[in-house]
Amino acid sequence: MDVGLNSGQLALRDSVRDVLRAECPPGVARHAMTDPERWRTLWKTVVDLGWAELAVPADGGDGSFGRVDLAVVLEECGAAIAPVPLLSSIGLAGGVLRVAGPAVDEVLEAIGGGVVAALAAHPPGCRLPGVPMTLQNGRLHGRAVAVTGLPRAELIVTLASSADGPVAAVVRVGDGVSVQAVECTDPAQPVADVEIDTAPVVTAPVDMESALATPLLAVAADLVGVADAALARSIEHAKARQQFGKPIGAFQGIKHALADNYVAVERARSLTYAAAARIDDPATSPSAGWTAAALAKAAAAEAAVGCARTGVQVHGALGQTWEHDMHLYLRHAWQGASTLGDSRALYHAVGRRVAGGAA
Amino acid sequence: MIRAEDVVAEYVAWLTDFLPDDYYHRYREYRWDLGLRRDHQRAAFEAGWLQPTWPREHGGRSLGLREAMEVRLEAAIRSAPKLPNIAGPNVAGPGIRQFGTPEQIDRLLVPLLRGDEWWALGMSEPEAGSDFAGLRTRAVRDGDLFRVKGRKIWTTQAHLSRWCTLYARTDPDAPKHRGISCLILDLESPGVTIEPIRMASISDETFCEVILDDVEVPVANLLGPCNGGWQVALSSLNHERQMIWIMNWVEIQRGLDSVRGSETAHDDYASGEVFTELGALLADAEALRATGYRSLYNELAGRPSPEADILKLLGSLTLQRVWELAAAASGPRSIDDADLLFERQDALAATIYGGTSEIQRNIIAERLLGLPKG
Repeated sequence: MDVGLNSGQLALRDSVRDVLRAECPPGVARHAMTDPERWRTLWKTVVDLGWAELAVPADGGDGSFGRVDLAVVLEECGAAIAPVPLLSSIGLAGGVLRVAGPAVDEVLEAIGGGVVAALAAHPPGCRLPGVPMTLQNGRLHGRAVAVTGLPRAELIVTLASSADGPVAAVVRVGDGVSVQAVECTDPAQPVADVEIDTAPVVTAPVDMESALATPLLAVAADLVGVADAALARSIEHAKARQQFGKPIGAFQGIKHALADNYVAVERARSLTYAAAARIDDPATSPSAGWTAAALAKAAAAEAAVGCARTGVQVHGALGQTWEHDMHLYLRHAWQGASTLGDSRALYHAVGRRVAGGAA
Repeated sequence: MIRAEDVVAEYVAWLTDFLPDDYYHRYREYRWDLGLRRDHQRAAFEAGWLQPTWPREHGGRSLGLREAMEVRLEAAIRSAPKLPNIAGPNVAGPGIRQFGTPEQIDRLLVPLLRGDEWWALGMSEPEAGSDFAGLRTRAVRDGDLFRVKGRKIWTTQAHLSRWCTLYARTDPDAPKHRGISCLILDLESPGVTIEPIRMASISDETFCEVILDDVEVPVANLLGPCNGGWQVALSSLNHERQMIWIMNWVEIQRGLDSVRGSETAHDDYASGEVFTELGALLADAEALRATGYRSLYNELAGRPSPEADILKLLGSLTLQRVWELAAAASGPRSIDDADLLFERQDALAATIYGGTSEIQRNIIAERLLGLPKG
């Protein structure tokens, strides 16, 4: 098993990183918090560059556009806290559709072309993602909360129970779809609740574990990026800020906290790359794929929240201000941490499976 | 091309053939069976499984790093008998192979690899633990001899060893890590006194104190360049570092099996409560393995592999948490379980040996993150 990036993926990473460094310094996320249209110019760049096309799985056997590539791009967008719905579109909504068969090919093509989609997978009152909708007599009905990217989306992908088992269903935002705006921890990545009572554009049967594996992996990749960027900012500050006549990074209280952050980032990154390769491998069972993705997501959320919280601490009073970037990372990390299951809930779910001999 | 699966299959066939039929059934006893462990080392040397990347005459079969790692992982997964004297084949051996003169290699390496002669690592001193470079043992040149005076401590298995890689100060005027040399000390030399130290646990890796009172060591026994001991120490330990995560990973798996198999696993409270920590530990174990593979992949591609520096810290801390969870999960039965007591004690050593967790964090912060020294 190879874990990590090949030279093509490293080149992809570097090119995405270069674009975002130029087009999306952290201040863009701050701006997007108060300007609801700010994301559009950046989104146009992202779509023009073809990044949304990663939603469409590779057809050839050459390994291009697999889930590792998807993870690489989402990680860089996370690191840039780019206020675009790329995670929502190609990672979450597209992630479910990847395993929904040829019936959804056209929808995936549309997402690949830049149509924004969101994934409604949180039933109200649940910590873990599940099946918020029911499909009966051709109508989709139900309610989902905390739908990432929904305020910017044209399409909603959701999971529904039906007489024939679970299905992925796609609906168009419009009649029969009531989007309820909510206050967001991270207004640069707005979420909304949704109530649906309409006929879906398309449905396709899915295996629930396979359906959720790629979305979990996608959130993990995004959060690894956030964690890494927040840590980089803390390191920079710890080298520059002087107290008691030396840089604060020379004190073990700071140094060891940042070393622990580094371990958390690399732990999560290894799990994420390994999960991406594992889910791409056709020999992997749905259950093993879900487990790998769930652990990666849980670890990445711990890393992101951990690095951002340490970042606030290392920056002292500066970290408490609107003008400093650290709260942007922290907001993004907190929001991502509760998306598709918080770390404890995911660890618990995996622990229970393994103890029960299910995985 | 050699396929890793084929190599592993060949190894498994060899190991299965070597082990007694009731090995897994009676692993609790066999793990302390020194005779079996010695026989295993010798047989592994002869079959080329002891150091798989090394050539045939040195207990290997010239495998690539990837194939060798798969073999080591398989050995660990199958609980192959532990080397009775790890310091020999895994620390002193690589040092001798890298730095030794042809005469030293010729005289020392095969008995070391076969386990006929055991080795101790003369590193720590009463005043030099984590601050290894602050060691005080002196070696003074006298013709074609060094005269050595000093004191080593926590020297594992010195009382059972024939040789010791002794680190001593040969240039007191140089900056502290540039004045150290590595000497190959015959522990039977006059002036050497070895006192075993009773361990808190039932570990058979007994510490010793080694007192050196005007001990003569031939200059020909210098390992590596004079005053180049720091580099010999780093390189020797680096070889071991790559093995530690595999050992930790497998011990973690064993701990997790113990959690799963504990009598109270079906108790309502226990079954719900331990899952979250169990899941987190499964993530740690998988992260350890994935990071091991990631760093190997980078290494084979000729790229830097900084992520390897998390392996020791993460592996050792996870190991401790695993056994604490195993103890919690077994409830009051943990009190009368001698094996569990040993595992918990032994896991506590993992954050000390090979560089403490505090030193690991300093290394990560200073070398990888570029933070200033304190």
